[in-house]
Amino acid sequence: MTSADPELFWALLYEFTRLGLISFGGANIAEMERVLVGQRGWIDAQTLANGFALGQVMPGPNMLAVTHYGFAVGGWAGAGAATLGFYGPTALISAAVALLWRRHSAHPWVSAFRDALLPFGAGVLLAGALVLGQGSVKGWPDLLLAMVAFVLLWRTRLNAAVVVVSAAAAGALLGL
Amino acid sequence: MSSPAAPSATLNTTSPPPTPLALFQLFFGVALSGIGGGLPAHTRRAVNARRWLTDVEFAESYTLAQLTPGPNAVNLAAMIGARLCGRLGALTSVLGVLLPGLTAMLGVTAVTLGLPGGLPGPVQSALRGAACAALGVMLTAALPVARVGADVRGGGVVMALTFLALGVLRLPLLPVLLVMLSAGLIIHRPRRASGDS
Repeated sequence: MTSADPELFWALLYEFTRLGLISFGGANIAEMERVLVGQRGWIDAQTLANGFALGQVMPGPNMLAVTHYGFAVGGWAGAGAATLGFYGPTALISAAVALLWRRHSAHPWVSAFRDALLPFGAGVLLAGALVLGQGSVKGWPDLLLAMVAFVLLWRTRLNAAVVVVSAAAAGALLGL
Repeated sequence: MSSPAAPSATLNTTSPPPTPLALFQLFFGVALSGIGGGLPAHTRRAVNARRWLTDVEFAESYTLAQLTPGPNAVNLAAMIGARLCGRLGALTSVLGVLLPGLTAMLGVTAVTLGLPGGLPGPVQSALRGAACAALGVMLTAALPVARVGADVRGGGVVMALTFLALGVLRLPLLPVLLVMLSAGLIIHRPRRASGDS
């Protein structure tokens, strides 16, 4: 792996720190696509979708995809930069907020802030679903598979990993 | 940490008190059981079983974890860790929730991306199938959030405009955030009269 490029390391650390700090309530796939695929040209849409899918079957938080993206760009050092940048600063902020919250939770502007942020976070998530769909759904079989997965997850108590792994098997069988 | 949240800890006599090491173990287990998502639900079950947090305390931490930037599950670990054991607790909780997946992801990535000539056909097909299902996972995560967002006054409009700006027009996030947040704060600015919520 080519991992001895300090300039690339810092660029990755910077972009993933930024991506972490501006994702609310979940993955900010739309912004990731804009920066990593469009602006920087570090990865292609297929790698973006692959990494996201891998993240779904890994134990732990779903957005471990960032580790995959970092590795694809800059090897082991890139994976380290992406992971540290994405999770480090936001975890620090969360811990600090937790320690501060009890003192200020009664303040009226705090609940105003909460009400202002909730619909924005929802819009971000929906936009991410659209962008992800454009990357991974390229035909009717794909769309059907996505819909079946959605209905199964929405209507049954099946574990998400089971659904994703089954879809992977279906994909391999159908030769998507 | 001399925290005023002591009442919840005095409820029980059986389970051990939270320590940084115990938090690491708890979140390591949460990460392993949460393959495919649902980490907050697993976290809630785990801290409830140990009686380290009341339901109200958990709900508060969960809401805050959603409102602070970054991935939910990791934020939640940092918040609960900080709340129960201060800074060291936050650190061990985050490491615990990240470590299993990070190890697995690095292993799989090093193998699949290192292959000469790219991925073999069947693996590529399998990943495309998994990506379609992952889209379904994402939708099931997004819909409850959208429901909550739509329940907020003016939320439906803010949500739709955010979706259009980011998903369709592909505008950068920060300016959109500033505009939408300002609009939301104006809509929800605290009033002196007590009549509204």
